[in-house]
Amino acid sequence: MEMVKIRKIPRRKKMKVGHTLFVAGMLALVCFTALPMVAMICRAFMPLDELYLYPPRIIVRKPTLSNFADLLTSLSASEVPFSRYIFNSLFTTGVTVFLSIFVCCAGAYGLAKFKPRGSTTIFAIITAALMFSSYVTQIPNYLIVTELGLVNSYWALILPKVAVAYNFFLVKQFAEQLPNSILEAARIDGSGEFGTFWKIAMPLLKPAWSTLAVFSFVSNWNDYFSALVYINKDAMKTLPLALQTLAGGAGVVARSGSVGAATLLTTLPTIIVFCIMRGRVMQTMTYSGIKS
Amino acid sequence: MNREKEKKKQKFMTMERRRVMEAYMFISPWIIGTAVFFVYAIFSSIKLSFSEIVQLKGFVMEWVGLANYEHILVYDINFMPIFTEVVIDTIINTPLTLVFSLIIAMLINRPNAGRGFFRTCFFLPVLLGSGYVMQQLLQIDATGSVGVGIALPSLLQGILGETFSGVIQAFLDRITLILWKSGVQIILFLAGLQGISSSLYEAAKCDGATQWESFWKITLPMISPIILLNFVYTMVMYFTSSDNALVAYILDQVFTSKDFARGAAMGWVYFLFAFVMCGIVFAAARGLSKDKEA
Repeated sequence: MEMVKIRKIPRRKKMKVGHTLFVAGMLALVCFTALPMVAMICRAFMPLDELYLYPPRIIVRKPTLSNFADLLTSLSASEVPFSRYIFNSLFTTGVTVFLSIFVCCAGAYGLAKFKPRGSTTIFAIITAALMFSSYVTQIPNYLIVTELGLVNSYWALILPKVAVAYNFFLVKQFAEQLPNSILEAARIDGSGEFGTFWKIAMPLLKPAWSTLAVFSFVSNWNDYFSALVYINKDAMKTLPLALQTLAGGAGVVARSGSVGAATLLTTLPTIIVFCIMRGRVMQTMTYSGIKS
Repeated sequence: MNREKEKKKQKFMTMERRRVMEAYMFISPWIIGTAVFFVYAIFSSIKLSFSEIVQLKGFVMEWVGLANYEHILVYDINFMPIFTEVVIDTIINTPLTLVFSLIIAMLINRPNAGRGFFRTCFFLPVLLGSGYVMQQLLQIDATGSVGVGIALPSLLQGILGETFSGVIQAFLDRITLILWKSGVQIILFLAGLQGISSSLYEAAKCDGATQWESFWKITLPMISPIILLNFVYTMVMYFTSSDNALVAYILDQVFTSKDFARGAAMGWVYFLFAFVMCGIVFAAARGLSKDKEA
């Protein structure tokens, strides 16, 4: 008994010291990763003279709301109501995310579970597509969109971003692990192929696609490049593009304060979506439920 | 007997065909989307890179052969230096990112370590993505260093001397960038780590394996699919991120100088390289998994 006690106490102490050290180290790393976020928030409240200090400062000393006031002035000067931009962004991002998840999940499921002839070719195309930046195909895509008569429409912002190779690749990695036995069981119980996919495979793939939903929401929401290319009507602009143009863009010194405010405003929705979905993404990412 | 066999065969064939049909029913939306916005676009981009635009209205093109490529590789004084710089950066950053994110994922994965909080914090920079904020942060210092990263204390700088501390500072800057960009990788690794059943570790422990051994014999093999996924993801992320100097140069070439053909050719030189790199990774992964099976 004595022996056990003597051995136990120092070990626990050692554990405690190790644990505190570990937490301290992690917190230091966290401070560090939080830096861009802190910098962004501070920039939105920074007065102009602090923005152009050298050496640059991250933390704001004299916070001010004048940046937001400036932004509001330039917003009210424009003809299109602000709510229109919010709607544009929400609508195109929402539809893109939904369609992309449906198309990619259906495709990945079909490819992984049926393995039809030609599936190796399709997978080769996917792996090739993974490596292409959208910038290479931007010019031809612009021509295609023009030819389809989609310029200045919501579809121009949605359709090119539905069949995304990375989404397909990610879902396929998960779909490979779907146990065939469950799918067989559903078929034997008389479920049609689409029913099997919708009612059995989709819920099991939820970890994959709910994560995908967040990723693709963030990237589509932040993407102002395609809106810049396909949209030239003010009323059809998305929020990030509208805010950046209203604030005068990156180069204008006098308005760089309102650029900071605009950036904070455009980033807020992604943060909110992430906070709502956080639990689901993080926890369901453990795809132990799928593993047989 | 023979007829019966034939009948069976026929039935099997139709079943087979039906399954193929069903499979393609699922895949077809994706195929259509890819065919229009990827395959077709790729081919027109190839054609564009071999041509010269005679008339911008209606995109009238004239075949010029390899002239665009020749111009980029031989005459353009900016392209090659930027290209090599980006390539070296990617080759250094990708493995570093993987190692760092795996270490962080394993640290977070330890029991009662405030998992949820840390996970969220490490993912936060991803939300800012390659957006405007990131770009501003990266350009914040005119000297070219990140400026807001881990800085060497000036005392240490004095001791180490200028060249040496410069090297260390460059390394620290790199790590700063890597930490900001590895949110997705950390999460994917975490998912992989939590998918490993704890009974494996217990069994290994009973057999007298140290933690170090069970890392190499259990953790690494079990998450090898995630490593491949992460490797490709990371490499592509570095190749295509908008704060990449070469992508910026190509975009400038296309949208500022309106030199579409040369921009397309540059894109092709660049992405052929990315293609080769990813091909090597896939081949290596396949070779490794075959080794394991054998």
